Amino acid sequence: MSVALASRRARGLDATGGLRAVSLGALLVGALLVSVVMGVGIGSVPIPTSTVLEVIAQRFGLGGDVSLLDDQIVWQLRMPRVLGAAATGAALALVGVVLQSLTRNDLADPYLLGISGGAAVGAVSVLVLGVSVGGLLATTMLTLGSFLGALGALVAVLVLATGRAGDLPPARTVLAGVAIGQVCAAYTSFVTIMSGDQDAARRVLAWTMGSLAGLRWDSAILLIVVAVVASVAVLAFTSDLDAFAFGESAASSLAVSVNRTRWILLTGTALVTASLVAYTGAIGFVGLVVPHVVRLLVGPSHRRLLPLSALVGAILLVWADTAARSIIDGQEIPIGVVTAVLGAPVFAVLLRRERSR
Amino acid sequence: MMRISRPLATLASFSLLTALTACAGAPSEEKASSPTDGYPVEVTTCGFTSTLDARPTRAITMNQGATEVALALGVEDQLAGTGYIDDAVPAKWKEAYDSVPVLSEQYPDHETVINAKPDFVYGSYISAYDDEAAGSQEQLEKLGIASMTSLFGCGDGDAKPEGGTTFETVWDEVDLVAKAFGVPERADAIRTAQEETLAGLKAEKPGAGIDVFWYDSGDRTPYVGTGEGGPQLILDAVGATNVFADIPHGWTDVAWEKVIAADPDVIVLADASWSTAKEKIAHLKNDPVLSKMRAVKADAFVALPFSETTPGVRLADGAVNVGGQLEKLSR
Repeated sequence: MSVALASRRARGLDATGGLRAVSLGALLVGALLVSVVMGVGIGSVPIPTSTVLEVIAQRFGLGGDVSLLDDQIVWQLRMPRVLGAAATGAALALVGVVLQSLTRNDLADPYLLGISGGAAVGAVSVLVLGVSVGGLLATTMLTLGSFLGALGALVAVLVLATGRAGDLPPARTVLAGVAIGQVCAAYTSFVTIMSGDQDAARRVLAWTMGSLAGLRWDSAILLIVVAVVASVAVLAFTSDLDAFAFGESAASSLAVSVNRTRWILLTGTALVTASLVAYTGAIGFVGLVVPHVVRLLVGPSHRRLLPLSALVGAILLVWADTAARSIIDGQEIPIGVVTAVLGAPVFAVLLRRERSR
Repeated sequence: MMRISRPLATLASFSLLTALTACAGAPSEEKASSPTDGYPVEVTTCGFTSTLDARPTRAITMNQGATEVALALGVEDQLAGTGYIDDAVPAKWKEAYDSVPVLSEQYPDHETVINAKPDFVYGSYISAYDDEAAGSQEQLEKLGIASMTSLFGCGDGDAKPEGGTTFETVWDEVDLVAKAFGVPERADAIRTAQEETLAGLKAEKPGAGIDVFWYDSGDRTPYVGTGEGGPQLILDAVGATNVFADIPHGWTDVAWEKVIAADPDVIVLADASWSTAKEKIAHLKNDPVLSKMRAVKADAFVALPFSETTPGVRLADGAVNVGGQLEKLSR
């Protein structure tokens, strides 16, 4: 089947598929809003939904009479965390979609290019070795350290993978990512075991599995900005991504400037991932599985795949984070554990249904 | 930085004095006795029994807690080496500590241990006998090396000792170690001194009516002192209320919102090399939400070395320390 035919067929399906996607989208937006309100209501200190709504109303200047304690917990502690989770989930899912298309690799996820490994190098340097600059707080240092580590790994991967002609072949990029990731993992294990105190291994492991604990408004707003910018930016590339999904020659035959687009998207997604990982640690599964799930539901067209994946990712992470902080009273479970436990069965069911079709 | 009220100070110096005289006076009398007098001695901890046939002269202590019990008993001349100190031993034992070789920053490995030709090995945690550390107790026994673990270190962090986490168990361990080293009367001196210290605190109740949040470490989620560990023993000793007393275990993670809802009067901070009191105060004061807590606004902080907060021979010092600082705050 020729590419032109395939894309015409995809467009032909748009009439019915489009309607389905739009209604699914509306449903997901509603689900996201409900999830946010419910997520804010759940936690160690029980707060009824009516109080949550009252706090939100009061914050938007609509009156209301809530106690300072409720306001502190709902608006200052939980709301930024829940919104931060939504933003992170949306961005991770988007990055996953882009990378899977760009590398034509079903296993591609946001941490493909050694980014989580690089971020871990930075995080461990701060957590275990206590690297610090001036009067910066330990938490700020951790964010900065992981961001710089992620950037370092990205630069190393790009240097390794770029050809003489400035091209960036996907296979070589992925392999370079694996190599850099391994080097980073070796450093992380070495430092943790050799100079870690008894608590260090626990903290490093917790960081590796991701957490949104302690997310306040300043960080949450930054994550939301990253997610919004990423969403708007990738929408400009939907047709390019469709073309990439069919292969490089198809892309170039459709007049996509293959090299330039690939550079922009690879570095762009890597920067997004680096910013996310700096605040939340590496949260697995979302970026890998959400794109597949949504593709099974609405097909491969990126015009639908991107926004719907972002919504599904946001909802998944809001609930995963709510579970992470409330399943065991007072204690935090790493969110990566929850995303895997929540996401894997859903994925398995969808795969089975797909197979039996 | 720390000022202790007069009665407390007298109490503290008195207990220190008794401990010191007990340590300084004893050895000359013992030297006369034969090294096998009173032996064999059997020590059973964490389900493992070792038999010492003679007074150990080349013992190894691992972890800060075990090392400090040995130093408190004044048996440094019977030590061949120490390993794995968390921060620093207190000034009163520094000279004694420095007189013993440090075998390793962390756990000495099996070969290092054997190379030191020990006759007795004493570790705070069961992990001291991992294959990567000193090697299993059975393995050591085959080489004729006796060994024991702290009564508080049988499992991972949360495993409770048989007698419960109490001062009584601390003293039982000191008794056991003193027996192993052949200096049982020094354990009695420590027990008596600490009992007097605690009785003094109980009479004075410097923490009466004060709600305390015990902040051990962590920033995104605080790791707090709960109902069954060293922190609780200290707070009980000074008569203060732990806001998380009803949570089991010695320490656990708790959500910040619970801390805010508890609205404590005073925050006690463990000062550890990996999480200093200064860092924790900076975190509390810089966080937009936590900085609004009453205790943070009022600078109602109490700081003490982490090694005074784990169940062990320095826990009573920790109680005196906290008591003195609470008294100063409430003035």
